[in-house]
Amino acid sequence: MSEFLNLDREKEAQTKRTNRSTFLLVLVGLFGFITLFQLVKLTVLDSGLYTTISDENRIVRVPIYPSRGLIKLSNGEIVTENIVSQALTISPSKTKDIEQTLKELKENLIINEKQLLAYKEKSIDKKSKYERVVIAENLSQQQIARFSVESDRWPSLSIEARLMRFNLSGPIFSHVLGYVGQISLEEIEDSINFSYPLSFQIGKSGVEKSYEEQMRGGVGYKTIEVDVHGKEIRELTRVIPKKGSDIYLTLDKDLQELARNELAGRKGAIVALDPNTGFIKALVSGPDFNPNILNKTEIGDLDIILNDLESPLFNRAISGSYPPASTIKPFIGLLGLKEGEIDWNTTIEDEGFFQLNEEGRKYRGWKEEGHGQVNLTKSIIESSDVFFYQLATQLTVDRIAIFLKKFGFGLKTGVDLYAEAEGILPDRKWKLGAIGESWFVGDTVNIGIGQGYISSTPLQLALAVSSIATRGKIYKPKVVSKVEEEIIEKEIFLEINSIKESDWEKLESSMVSVISDWRGTAFNLTEIAKNKIAGKTGTAQIKSLTDEELTVKEEYEDIRQEVSNRDHALFVGYGPIPEPKLTVVVIVENGESGSAIAAPIAQRLIDKYLSKNN
Amino acid sequence: MSNKAPLDYQLNTSFGTRKFTLSKLLIDPILVFSLLTILIFGLFVLFSASGQTVVMVMKQSIYVAIGLFLMFFISRLDQSVYKSFFMHLFWFGLILLVWVLLFPAEGYKTDRWIDLGFISFQPSEVIRLLLPLAAASYLTRNQKRNTIKDWVVVLVAILSSSFLIFKQPDLGTALIVLASGCIPVFLAGFPLLILIILMMVVIVSSPLLWASLTPYMQQRVITLFNPESDLLGAGWNISQSKTAIGSGGFWGKGYLNGTQSQLDFIPESHSDFIFSVIGEEFGFLGILLLLMLYGIILYRVFKIALNSSTEFSRLAATSIGFIFLIYIWINVSMTVGTLPVVGVPLPLISQGGTSILIHLVAFGFVLSMKRRQTW
Repeated sequence: MSEFLNLDREKEAQTKRTNRSTFLLVLVGLFGFITLFQLVKLTVLDSGLYTTISDENRIVRVPIYPSRGLIKLSNGEIVTENIVSQALTISPSKTKDIEQTLKELKENLIINEKQLLAYKEKSIDKKSKYERVVIAENLSQQQIARFSVESDRWPSLSIEARLMRFNLSGPIFSHVLGYVGQISLEEIEDSINFSYPLSFQIGKSGVEKSYEEQMRGGVGYKTIEVDVHGKEIRELTRVIPKKGSDIYLTLDKDLQELARNELAGRKGAIVALDPNTGFIKALVSGPDFNPNILNKTEIGDLDIILNDLESPLFNRAISGSYPPASTIKPFIGLLGLKEGEIDWNTTIEDEGFFQLNEEGRKYRGWKEEGHGQVNLTKSIIESSDVFFYQLATQLTVDRIAIFLKKFGFGLKTGVDLYAEAEGILPDRKWKLGAIGESWFVGDTVNIGIGQGYISSTPLQLALAVSSIATRGKIYKPKVVSKVEEEIIEKEIFLEINSIKESDWEKLESSMVSVISDWRGTAFNLTEIAKNKIAGKTGTAQIKSLTDEELTVKEEYEDIRQEVSNRDHALFVGYGPIPEPKLTVVVIVENGESGSAIAAPIAQRLIDKYLSKNN
Repeated sequence: MSNKAPLDYQLNTSFGTRKFTLSKLLIDPILVFSLLTILIFGLFVLFSASGQTVVMVMKQSIYVAIGLFLMFFISRLDQSVYKSFFMHLFWFGLILLVWVLLFPAEGYKTDRWIDLGFISFQPSEVIRLLLPLAAASYLTRNQKRNTIKDWVVVLVAILSSSFLIFKQPDLGTALIVLASGCIPVFLAGFPLLILIILMMVVIVSSPLLWASLTPYMQQRVITLFNPESDLLGAGWNISQSKTAIGSGGFWGKGYLNGTQSQLDFIPESHSDFIFSVIGEEFGFLGILLLLMLYGIILYRVFKIALNSSTEFSRLAATSIGFIFLIYIWINVSMTVGTLPVVGVPLPLISQGGTSILIHLVAFGFVLSMKRRQTW
């Protein structure tokens, strides 16, 4: 009986178990089917998609950047080269916690606070995921050693050799060469047809900037296989980059060095160029800077350069606007001749001041007692202000503005350097727009002696003066004569045809007399001059002399107590006469005397240049 | 059974009972050869998945060898010898679980290990075999119908052991242990009405359960439903695993040629995500062949269970089969992204000595339960 019961019981349990097993099998089977379907979807239906993803995982296209073109002198001497520097780079996409990593690096003294600063300013999430970002440049041997010991802790970091810019001549060519620096995000976004990577060294000023495109070359790339940490396993393909072009400067190193020494750290600018080609032979702006500090290939205090009140980075030679002062006089004279307002014999009485009418304000000349009877020649030699006050008034601002524009005043010269200023060539419309007042005749009077609203850059002055040397031809100024194999030809910038040959000649001889005539404002040069040059001095007033009660001398003595109120010393000139080879413009800020301070510099530069080239 | 006797039986009768046969030695040659095939295949895959480290494969081989020896030894035993032992062994296992919580072994991330110096093992792996066997043993200890009290005893045992593992914390194994315990209970005829009520209770209390999960576990569940939400964090595993399997396509990239595997894109490729390596290097075809081998093993296990002589052995063998199936299902599902990443190894292939040992021991028990000619 119990045996049977047990059998029944067992049978019942067995049936139940079989049913439930089947149920469970079907249940797991149903879920299993979902998974199986997913498997088919992954491996068969979507396989292509996942193949792509897996390739994107492992295959990385790494751009290869060519070494930057060198900067050389025309004789092939290297001015700027590339040197190898070790940089610490990070792969942001492979770094879990960037802030933490940086903190650890600092704690382990691998990078110091200063080297890190450059990194913080940069946003790293904007660029693609495989790019590496430099977090510290110029690692010392010690830093490299310290990093290597513990590099396993930071798999996303590595030390990479980078090429950095180094100027062999230090600060001598500073403003011409400019400097390079880490590309900014704006620069990355603005660049067309070249995809700059983060941490790229891009030209920031000088020829480094203006010839950026030629010197950087063309990007190549390689495709590599990487593991999950971004470590390169093997290279798959490679396209060689196009080397950056070398550029050759028009500058003369000796002349540049001399010009720099002559300026001797004072604020000011010197431009020397060949009037027959426009090729710049020397370009100095003071104070200058050592580009290697900005290129980070020499240790130096960046803050001093960047925050100096005398702004050493500012290129006064092309970006500084100065009143041309008396150096404008030859051009006003030319216009007078051309318009028939005067001829070479027209004479006026210079009593030391000029008045528009009997009761009007007295416009005083620099010489209180006046120059007596003056014609154009004498007015240039002695720099009579009164003659030009009157001539300018007769010519009116309208004619002056049109005429001066032909010499490049108020125009950018198009020099192959960045941040060129255009100066101010004022006329009625300009004044209404910029000052909000209508033009007064008094404004015209001031223009006659290059004061008032008019201003120009030293380079503009150099071009205008060159037109006298070339009898009306102005060539586009250039600092680069050759890019790799391509020779850069001279280019006409402006041409003045309306002046009679005899007028050019007489003007030139008047300017020669500025130096050679015993009455000439630059007669002091006669002592040092080795070559005959033509020139014109200028003294640009910072503070105008307006107090009528005081004599010129008293007032001037008072004002000049403050250095920054002192006049700028100007000299423009060219030589030798005949067949001029070099135009020089010298501006020494607060140098007070064009003849004593600026003129000798120009004479010495021309003498030096000629002694070298003869 | 039909009038045609099994092959081994025929052989035995024609050439005498003393004659050595494969069937006699291995008990179920098809099951054993399938196991061996998977184990050897698994060692090859492990070599590829471990970044081609011989040491890891050697270590695994030792466990495989020990496991096979244990399986062989256990398969010789008669079920009457060990049946009643399981309940005592289970208590011992439970003590070990408490032990690891109280005295965690040093040098391990979670409190899962017992380090005996010469060998270290996870008691949770031991319990997940002991629990269903003990439950089967308890529920079939006599011929009588099981009472409510019996069910309660078993359920308490199941819940307490899985709770202890959950506390380690090891959600994956806790769930596996829970399932391993519940399967024999369900199969043994647990009252359906109570089952439904219990399920309702679980569903209602699920928000509470959710709250008791650690943030790490919650994150894993969340990313299951939206793996793309956190591609560098928790979603990384799933997305890289799917990419590996998907890019393997139908034919696979070839042994040792899986870029996802060899370049370390698959995390935990030697343990929980070893299936992704198989998918990438052997393709859908390889997966299908592997699943077929698993299928053959399961078929043999269920067949042995059906023909086994006692209610205990039928229940135990069926449970072992289902547990094995669930292991495969969970692991494959999590690597293809249809289940959360809960950390369940692929049976017989994933790196992990204890896991392999326990699976082989389980198969040893199954083999011992095969109804056969006594000799």
